[in-house]
Amino acid sequence: MSQVNQGNHKQKVVIVPCSGIGKTYGTVSREAAYEVTEDLRPQASRIVALSLLVLGDEAAREAVANCPSITIDGCKLACATKMVKESGGVVAQDYAVLDVYRRYKQFKPQGIAELNEGGLKLANALAQEIASTVDNLVKGKSKLSPIEGGQNG
Amino acid sequence: MPEFLETQVDKFIFKVARDRYYTNEGVWAQADGNRVRMGLSDFLQQRSGDVAFADVIPEGSTLHAGDEIASIETIKVNISLASPVSGKIVEVNPGMETAPEAINQDPYGAGWLAVIEAADWEAERANLLDPQAYFIQMKAEAEEEAKKL
Repeated sequence: MSQVNQGNHKQKVVIVPCSGIGKTYGTVSREAAYEVTEDLRPQASRIVALSLLVLGDEAAREAVANCPSITIDGCKLACATKMVKESGGVVAQDYAVLDVYRRYKQFKPQGIAELNEGGLKLANALAQEIASTVDNLVKGKSKLSPIEGGQNG
Repeated sequence: MPEFLETQVDKFIFKVARDRYYTNEGVWAQADGNRVRMGLSDFLQQRSGDVAFADVIPEGSTLHAGDEIASIETIKVNISLASPVSGKIVEVNPGMETAPEAINQDPYGAGWLAVIEAADWEAERANLLDPQAYFIQMKAEAEEEAKKL
């Protein structure tokens, strides 16, 4: 049985990006999250704002508590991953933008409000990886458990 | 005696290892005979941010003190590191290719960058700061940076 049913809002995979405003890597994380939820897998995923989890918003906490989450962290503080766990959620997979960048050295991200071409390409590469993870979760094929998920972006 | 000199500035704790020398920029040099291992100080790595890539000049290269020995790209800045001594690079940390985050995690240990066979360590050591002198300089810099926060 699928862990996630496409189209059912309450069953969508939750994506929680970094909320670091004014940070390039935070912007990459949000750009990737928008791309997945708006373009690549809109029927199967949705964003929950990290700031809402920090504020203890009931709807946001419920969303991460009831659906598998994918977190995207902009730095080693890993606020997104920590907050999902603290909110009672299951992190199916956590991504760190820096780790992704190490795999795509040719896409050097720059800019804050607007990313440069490298940043946009890096966000796209990250979004493609996340979309694949969403597919696995939808199919119930993800082998990742909250414990095994670890730093595997 | 503790292994490190340590200070807290704002919420940050900075350590200076007592068993090596430093350049003004925060590159450390630790000699074993005439083989000098080098890397970034704790302050320099914290100020620079999470390391994405570290490119070290290849083994076999000869350089003078002050020549670039490595370039580091972090999430904040690109920095060029000057060699603390003259000599020939005889070893480059292989971990820098795959796990340069060691610079952040263990700047005085696994995060070392290279070993140089020094041309004249005893003479060039005089141009470097001892741990206490670097600690004072580093602390002043950290306090200055903290005022900007």
